[in-house]
Amino acid sequence: MNESSTTSSDSVEPFRTASPKKQNVFLRPHSVLGRKGLERLDLLLLAIESIDLNGGESLIWVAQQLGLENVFPNRVELWKQRCHNPLRRSTRRGSLDSTESEGLILLLCSMSQRLYPLIHQLLSSKEPIELSRERWKLLNKRLIHLMEERMNTRLSSVQRLMTPTKVKELSRQLVFTLALSAGPGGVDRLRASLLDPTP
Amino acid sequence: MIKTSFQYDQTTARLYVEGLPDFSIGQEDGVIGILSGWRIELIGSHELEGKKEHLQSLMNVVQPYVRHRLSGVERSFGDPSSHVSIRPLEGSHEILLRSSQVGVNPLTIVLDDAELADLIRCLDDLILDHRVRIDWTIPANQPLLRRDLVDKVPFVKRFFTPVLGTSIFILTTSLFLTIPLPTLFEFSPSLVQPTDQKQ
Repeated sequence: MNESSTTSSDSVEPFRTASPKKQNVFLRPHSVLGRKGLERLDLLLLAIESIDLNGGESLIWVAQQLGLENVFPNRVELWKQRCHNPLRRSTRRGSLDSTESEGLILLLCSMSQRLYPLIHQLLSSKEPIELSRERWKLLNKRLIHLMEERMNTRLSSVQRLMTPTKVKELSRQLVFTLALSAGPGGVDRLRASLLDPTP
Repeated sequence: MIKTSFQYDQTTARLYVEGLPDFSIGQEDGVIGILSGWRIELIGSHELEGKKEHLQSLMNVVQPYVRHRLSGVERSFGDPSSHVSIRPLEGSHEILLRSSQVGVNPLTIVLDDAELADLIRCLDDLILDHRVRIDWTIPANQPLLRRDLVDKVPFVKRFFTPVLGTSIFILTTSLFLTIPLPTLFEFSPSLVQPTDQKQ
């Protein structure tokens, strides 16, 4: 006899960590994201919004689906937490606590999973070149627009990110990161990469 | 005895595993405790299959490679003696598979970013599947060390700060050395008059 089953992971479901038996040392309350980690996390969320035109609403909906209503009850709370990014126009002092940063990471991985077909299309070399070029052009345009709207454009680091060559490199890097951190398996990986020290 | 099989699907990759429950440790039907075979189908590429050790070897190189790529570090994993190795190759990823059979040439597979993401998602799904109770020994996802990340920073930028600091120190010291020292006067003891001597 042969019993078989197919697993498809495109639905929103509560995430489990990769190694439930082991205690994850990075979930300790004092393991908070540094400046670079906050910047990167917010830019990744911005990339999500660039891919999904209705990304702002989707983030709240996914937060509710994941049971994160207490952490992100509404758009304002989500915006306030994202404002810890020092590159933001209206930045907030201090850093996110571990619950908030964990919530944002879960939200990001879940959104990447939802948008995975689009992310896959963008990254695939098998797609028609012209079509792929147009998709990247649209994505970069929207990313620049969102950065102009939300980031402090007087900062030289933001200006540097918004140059045409840098924005192409940045968007490619962000989309690839989203692809590799999509789904429950990406949570640990993304968290570890956001906790990297500054070189 | 019931043979159980599970399938994990992504756009360009499909992982198929089959095995049996390990009744010696009380596992029930419908779970896999002993892996009898696996197969990975990569669309437009080769089909891979092997024993548990081979799948373990694949996980052992692909997981840390992806973890490093998330942090922007491009490096190879897997030594020439191992079954599998992976290295970055001009915007794509080259996996080299060495057969344990004598006289079989190594197989090379080149994956683009989307295919790598599909492969890692299939492996993640397998690792996180609670029905597959196999103790995979996978490197834990941890923040990278500073020395791993230092190669990301351009050579000029890396040495700019210490060179600037040393230059400023030398310049300041040289400036102080150019200031002439005050002339020293010698006082003879007869010229010094005692004051407020106690009786």
